[in-house]
Amino acid sequence: MSEEFLLAARGVAKQYGPVVALRSANLSVVPGEIHALLGANGAGKSTLVKILSSVIRADAGAIDVHGVEAALQKPTDSLAAGIATVFQDPALIRDLTLEQNLRISRLTKSDVLPWLERMNLGHIDFDLQVADVPLAVLRLLDLARALAHDPQLLMLDEITAALTTDQADYVFELMQEWKDRGRSVLFISHRLGEVLASCDRATILRNGADVAHLDLAGVDEGQLVTAMLGEELVEELEEAGTTQETGPAVAAGARDRKERPVVLELKDVHLRDKVNGISFELRQGEILGLTALEGQGQKELFQALSGDHRPSAGELLVKGEPLRARSPYDAIRRGVVLVPADRQQALLPQRSVRENLATPLYNSAGGWLALAGDEKERVDGAVARLDIDVRAGSQAQRLSGGNQQKVTIGRWLAAGFDTLLCFDPTRGIDIQTKAQIYDLLREVAADGASVILYTSELREIQLVCDRVLVMYAGRIVNEQDAATATEESMLSAAHGLKEVPA
Amino acid sequence: MTSTSPDALVAGTQAPWRRWLRRHGWTLGVWLLLFLLIAYYATLIPRFGAFQVASIVNNATPLVFLAVAQAVIVIAGGIDLGVGGMLVLSSVTAARLMEGQPFGVTIVLAVLILLAAAVINSGVGWIITRSNVPDIVITLGSLYVFQGLALAVLPNPGGGTSEGFRWLFTGSDTGIGTNPWPAAVMMTVAVAAVAWWMGKTRSGLSLYAAGSDRTAAFLSGINADRVKIMAYAVGGAFAALAGLANTAIAGRGNATTVGGNLTLNSVAAIVLGGVALTGGIGSAIAVVPAGIILFFLNPILTAMGVDPSSAQVIQGVLIVFVMAATGIIEWRRRRQA
Amino acid sequence: MSTDLIPLSEEEAAVSGRQKAARYLVNHPHLVLIGVLVLLIILTGLIEPNYLSINGLRNSALFAVPIGILAAGQTILMLTGGIDLSAAMIATGAAYIAANQSPQGAVIAILGGLLVGFLAGAANGIGVGIFQVNPLIMTLAMSGILLGLFTSWAQTIFSGSTRMGDFIRTLGGGSFFGRAIPWAVVVWAVLSVFVVYMLRRSGFGRNLYALGDNPAVARLSGTRAWQVLIIVYTMAGVFAAIAGLLLGGRVGAVDLQLAGVFLLPSVAAAVIGGTSIFGGIGTYTGTILGALILGVLQSLLTFLGAGQAVQQMLYGSIVIGLSWLYTRISAAQ
Repeated sequence: MSEEFLLAARGVAKQYGPVVALRSANLSVVPGEIHALLGANGAGKSTLVKILSSVIRADAGAIDVHGVEAALQKPTDSLAAGIATVFQDPALIRDLTLEQNLRISRLTKSDVLPWLERMNLGHIDFDLQVADVPLAVLRLLDLARALAHDPQLLMLDEITAALTTDQADYVFELMQEWKDRGRSVLFISHRLGEVLASCDRATILRNGADVAHLDLAGVDEGQLVTAMLGEELVEELEEAGTTQETGPAVAAGARDRKERPVVLELKDVHLRDKVNGISFELRQGEILGLTALEGQGQKELFQALSGDHRPSAGELLVKGEPLRARSPYDAIRRGVVLVPADRQQALLPQRSVRENLATPLYNSAGGWLALAGDEKERVDGAVARLDIDVRAGSQAQRLSGGNQQKVTIGRWLAAGFDTLLCFDPTRGIDIQTKAQIYDLLREVAADGASVILYTSELREIQLVCDRVLVMYAGRIVNEQDAATATEESMLSAAHGLKEVPA
Repeated sequence: MTSTSPDALVAGTQAPWRRWLRRHGWTLGVWLLLFLLIAYYATLIPRFGAFQVASIVNNATPLVFLAVAQAVIVIAGGIDLGVGGMLVLSSVTAARLMEGQPFGVTIVLAVLILLAAAVINSGVGWIITRSNVPDIVITLGSLYVFQGLALAVLPNPGGGTSEGFRWLFTGSDTGIGTNPWPAAVMMTVAVAAVAWWMGKTRSGLSLYAAGSDRTAAFLSGINADRVKIMAYAVGGAFAALAGLANTAIAGRGNATTVGGNLTLNSVAAIVLGGVALTGGIGSAIAVVPAGIILFFLNPILTAMGVDPSSAQVIQGVLIVFVMAATGIIEWRRRRQA
Repeated sequence: MSTDLIPLSEEEAAVSGRQKAARYLVNHPHLVLIGVLVLLIILTGLIEPNYLSINGLRNSALFAVPIGILAAGQTILMLTGGIDLSAAMIATGAAYIAANQSPQGAVIAILGGLLVGFLAGAANGIGVGIFQVNPLIMTLAMSGILLGLFTSWAQTIFSGSTRMGDFIRTLGGGSFFGRAIPWAVVVWAVLSVFVVYMLRRSGFGRNLYALGDNPAVARLSGTRAWQVLIIVYTMAGVFAAIAGLLLGGRVGAVDLQLAGVFLLPSVAAAVIGGTSIFGGIGTYTGTILGALILGVLQSLLTFLGAGQAVQQMLYGSIVIGLSWLYTRISAAQ
């Protein structure tokens, strides 16, 4: 039965301690197809990819390649079984040259050159150190390296993120060629347009199990989203969306907002060559959305806002007074606080939830001699307000992803703030937690604080924000009222296009 | 966003000497510093000749080998506080076993000691990978164990070795002379071999890979645990080689030598030699002049009329200064990145 | 790593009895240490019945004092991800100055000794906190600098007395209550209360854990690492000076090898006590137990007539074995 499949994963399960990453996933890929693996963040995609590439071992289930069960213990086993993977983070050693990296993979220049030429990288200098090569090029190099292994199945995990359009086109061409050779590609992407344009079939994961196997001909994005999220949650989300004021009320709200005091103002801010002259105002009680493709200077803009880096030019005004921060402390003292995207950078993994939440209370000598008398009330208040599950609270690293993210936000609820900077706060967390975070942001804004929310998920803009700015190449290229902004208009602005495509 | 083929990525666009300088500038700098110091030393003392050169080269050998041992392990992502103990242990073992033996037997014994050191230290590496205890803690333990073993092997300073064996490391049957060549050749061959291995072979490059990025190394099919054990084995052998050199120079063994201090010198030497304590960066070739410089500071400061204890102060200040400078350079580079 | 995971239901999360026992030990790691300590005391008592007396235990305690106080510095530094390899040399230098200044009276002598610790510790803190020098290298170099300085000063500006004044000798070696309780133990106890309070009940202590566990979080929470590091290294320097004064007081005369042998045991005591050398995890209570274990071990080895060789090998094996056991226990959760 399974001989006709190039790859058949049956009932694959994986559990990390008390949490289940994959309950039971089935996936079958036939020769000569481009197969999409889809799912919301946290559905188990990356776990399945890691199991197929032998980065981690499954707890249960079997994986057949051409009908023969493959023993996947270490990454070379997957390669030997004909599965080559290009990961989101290129698996190249920073401190070695490209050529030395190839040698470690037991390859030579001539193995990868034909593929690099296809991607217009034929002249690349193999004596360069990986650390000096941009991420996009590294991804393509990693692809060439994977192709050089001549795999039966090529797995591409979010390869198009951070690629330019022409670079992405090379990738699609190579995928098509691989299909024409009778080999297969497993394509993982958040960009549903790409998926529909290039893939033949799709397997959809939700909550650690496969919930749909679709033939993509004649399917539209809406159907994919519904399958990924599940009917109920889509409705829930839409409901959440409708609780925002609509129609005339929005206009009234906007007028009202314009009369509120400005709490944060940027005047022609530059940071290195990444932020190239940004100016905007943030008013009290406003939730300002910011969106951009990866690597457009949004990270650096947040570094400047949070006091992590001082702008190389331009001025930052907090409540009309200039802020020249030497460290985040100076920004925090003025009420501007940051919730970073990467939870690895936002948690004290070995310390308790309580200590995590209370950290900012002790950031100056005034709080050093004893613990804050109201520490317990502040911490309990944040826990209650965010509904943090503290059962595994003795070490923050044991919390689930959603609870960890709540801790990073709760820290500022406990400490107090005027302006909350959120950098992609809902990346990789479950939909219920997302809804709680949206509610919280609207609550704090209603209570008179301001929020800047950077997000890569455009629907969040409409759900949460009052106004949206779109960044491209270090500049603000578009400003819209969030209630009337469409995904298309934001997306085309984010690509640096002047006009909205039909 | 970057275009597909920015000029900087294309072969031949960057002047080769410029890149060479960027990549090997530190190595070159340390060598230059060494030669400058030697030249300066030559002007300081009334007669500078073969005896002085031989004295510097010969007596610096143990520290150089010990620094190479530390470099191999640190580049692979570890750190071995036990190398000093291994030096003392192999030195006293050699002195105890080699006493009164003919040259041929001492050579066989030397090879056996090197092998045994490699095996023992690979055991240390194995414990580290199996236990998941930080390297620094386990090797703190192995330092004690080696030092204790050394005392058990040779409770009182003594022992000896053959004249030929002493010549191998000092160019003289008595350990004192004007012939730096055997030691120089020995250092060149050993260091060139290890540098070639680390730079040109897959197993050697895997040391850098494991020390630089365990995940990426793992995905490239490298078993980081096995690499670490290998690094500890090679490091152990080099530490033992340093011990053999020590025995050859002194003509005897002394188990009360404090191995911990020797370890600390080896760490100072690799830092001066440009090896990053975080792993993945550095080369054995730059460690050689760094080791010689650290040894050489004492005679040079003595010749300048500075007393030896002040020389120690200057050595410490120099190391802090080097580290602070690299720290600031690194910090600025990250700010701009 | 995978980002979002689905929590298990209650029954799925139920754990076996053995895991429960392991988890209990993980949450109460000091029980293991107390067990080891009691076992060692009993073992020593079996070999030498006289040991189980005030006098016998007192000797172990006296040996544990310098280790425990030096290890207080190591503990607070290791919590931040640092270490102090200059602690023994600072202790020696402090004792040296105190002995040298003893003719000027006890107050000057003690203040002089503490000043050595303050200055050397502050210099370490500035190097690590402001110039970002690796702590291992910074304190190692400081050790060399101090050795050089004191070697040269011993013949010049600080030549003269190397004999401790009576007051410091009483503090280091004397006892009260009919020779039952050594003054040095009292000093250690006071210092312990201070350190335990700092780590458990002060905002400054929270900063130490935060810096060691994740410096990026500490920074984004507004902690300025350089301030915390300068203070904590200075504190460790002063602790080392106190250890040096007590040790010098016990020995009576001071030379430049006075405290050297206590450096690695001080690190070992913290490690045995469960402090992670990478920072973020550990308590001073654990370190105290670690120092006491080493103190009793010293008595045991003395009674056994074990030479230096056996002592060192055993020391090393214990460091390796206990740290391995610790990680096994914490991995069992």
